[in-house]
Amino acid sequence: MINLLESGSNSINNSKKTVSSKKCTLDSDCPDVLSRPRFSLRTHMLLMFILLSSLSMALVIGSVIAINHIQKKLHFFQITEKYLFDIAQARRWEKNYFLYGTNLKDAVQSANNAKNILSDNLKNVTIILSPEKTATIVQHLDKYREFLQELSVLEKNGIENTEKKHEIETSLRKHGSEMVKVAAALVLKEQISMNTMLKLIQRIPVYSLAVVLLLTTFLVCFFVKRLIKPLKLLVESTQKIAKGDFSPIPPMCKYRGEFTTVELAINHMIQELQLREVAMVESHKLRAIGTLTAGIAHELNNPLNNIMLTAHAILEEHNDLSEDELLEMINDLINEADRSRKIIRNLLDFAREGESASGPLDLGVLVNETIKLAQNQIKVSGTKIETQIQTHLPQIRGDKQQLKQVFLNLILNALDAVKKDGTIKISLEQAETPGFLSVKVEDNGCGIPAYILPNIFDPFFTTKGPGKGTGLGLSVSHGIVNIHGGQISIESKEGKYSRFTVILPSLNVPADLKAKSERRN
Amino acid sequence: MKEKLEILLLDDEIIVGNRLGPALEKAGYDVEVFEDPQKALNRIHEKEFDIVVTDIMMADVNGIQVLEEVRKKSDTTRVIIITGYATVALAREAMDKGAFDMIAKPFKPSELHSVITKAADSLGYKKIIAKA
Repeated sequence: MINLLESGSNSINNSKKTVSSKKCTLDSDCPDVLSRPRFSLRTHMLLMFILLSSLSMALVIGSVIAINHIQKKLHFFQITEKYLFDIAQARRWEKNYFLYGTNLKDAVQSANNAKNILSDNLKNVTIILSPEKTATIVQHLDKYREFLQELSVLEKNGIENTEKKHEIETSLRKHGSEMVKVAAALVLKEQISMNTMLKLIQRIPVYSLAVVLLLTTFLVCFFVKRLIKPLKLLVESTQKIAKGDFSPIPPMCKYRGEFTTVELAINHMIQELQLREVAMVESHKLRAIGTLTAGIAHELNNPLNNIMLTAHAILEEHNDLSEDELLEMINDLINEADRSRKIIRNLLDFAREGESASGPLDLGVLVNETIKLAQNQIKVSGTKIETQIQTHLPQIRGDKQQLKQVFLNLILNALDAVKKDGTIKISLEQAETPGFLSVKVEDNGCGIPAYILPNIFDPFFTTKGPGKGTGLGLSVSHGIVNIHGGQISIESKEGKYSRFTVILPSLNVPADLKAKSERRN
Repeated sequence: MKEKLEILLLDDEIIVGNRLGPALEKAGYDVEVFEDPQKALNRIHEKEFDIVVTDIMMADVNGIQVLEEVRKKSDTTRVIIITGYATVALAREAMDKGAFDMIAKPFKPSELHSVITKAADSLGYKKIIAKA
């Protein structure tokens, strides 16, 4: 409760501050807005673009490298096949030689070819097979070639050393089959590795598509969140402002960016609106004073007339008057002059353009003073006023003049609404909401149609004819009650009644108790 | 014809009656002063006055109502309105409803005297007034 009260009085003070410090730069207004880390939407988009393009670039480079690799593999595979073919050919020729005694030279040639291929690609083979296995291949091939050489030497010399030949044949067969086995294994291994690689390459586009899709979805979601959330907050803030809440809007997103400019602009606008509101309250007050002044000028005629008549009576009959009569007349003069002074002072108190000062107030006294202020209008309209002011209520904290303006406005509106012989009921009591006081102003006048009820607190909304109402009264009242931490509401039935209820937060100490304790002190 | 003009003076401002009552008596009229409009209306129902001087803005009964009541009772009674709220609209309403004249407050006693004289004149009381 106390917080609410304090916030009410704070906002009154705030409005004063803004009036006094009209010129302030945008930057100095909202240091907390600007202290956030900077991350603009532009940077955000740039980062998104860079991320996505580097991803695609990585994909392209990866694919090029993979294809290159496959190409090399393919090339090597062809070489290994050629090697296998040469070895197999050498063995076929070797077989022919032992069967028919032909093709020994061809066998040597094929073996040499195989050897050339092997020595050319030794490095690659070492990588694929282990160095030991490579060494075995080379060893077997060298042995094979060696025995073939020996065999051709024997052939050249024409020596039919069958035992030796048989021995060589056995060794050749042994090394030859080993050689073929290892070469076949090499080819098989290469084939498997190439198939694996091809499969991998086949999957890469699928995987990368999935990754790109995921990443894009995430980035877009994040981006949209960064756009939508502040926009939603923006809409909420404007609705709040429309309801007359002029507190600065909270930061719309975690980072500083394009929306920071919007925030600053809106906060600036709020300040300007606040200034206008103050001006509007003032101008509405002037209007109310105008209305009252006409009435008060008339009201003053009564004591003036009394003074005039009494003065003339003294002037004409002073010789015939007894001392008592003369004394009575002089007292009348003084009392009527005092009455005039009170009438004028009442208006002046309300009209005084001073610092709006917030302080503890007795709402009952304030309501009665307001009724007195409008007394003349009430008298002219012939309306009956019924008051039910509860006593022993806690005080409230607020600006006397501004609150008088609210109640005066409600009373003047009610006077406009009632016909002759209408009744206006004004009551003050504890509100249903604990810690609040409620003032009700009810008239049995024309009422307000239900369809315009939602608009009646809007500025410039009026049902009175042109030149009769500015449409500012209820809007200004709403604003004043708001900054006091209270609420103003309306119930109405067309043709029957209108009841305005103003609730205001109360201080905890009842007014008369406080007055007593102050007296004691 | 009566010797003295009978005047009813109604104003909820006590001082008006206190000052004007004796002054009019002195001027030779028969004056009854009222502050309470209701009592004044009752008296108007009882008796036909020559001249009724009434205020307009009073707590319960409006001066215009008094005028209307007087008109119901008599066509000859002259009604003089005294008011602090003199506006053209009010003057027109009063005249339409048959008021004799309207005086705006504040006024000097002599102004009322001259209007009453005119009213008496219109009623044919010239001589009596002259005597007075």
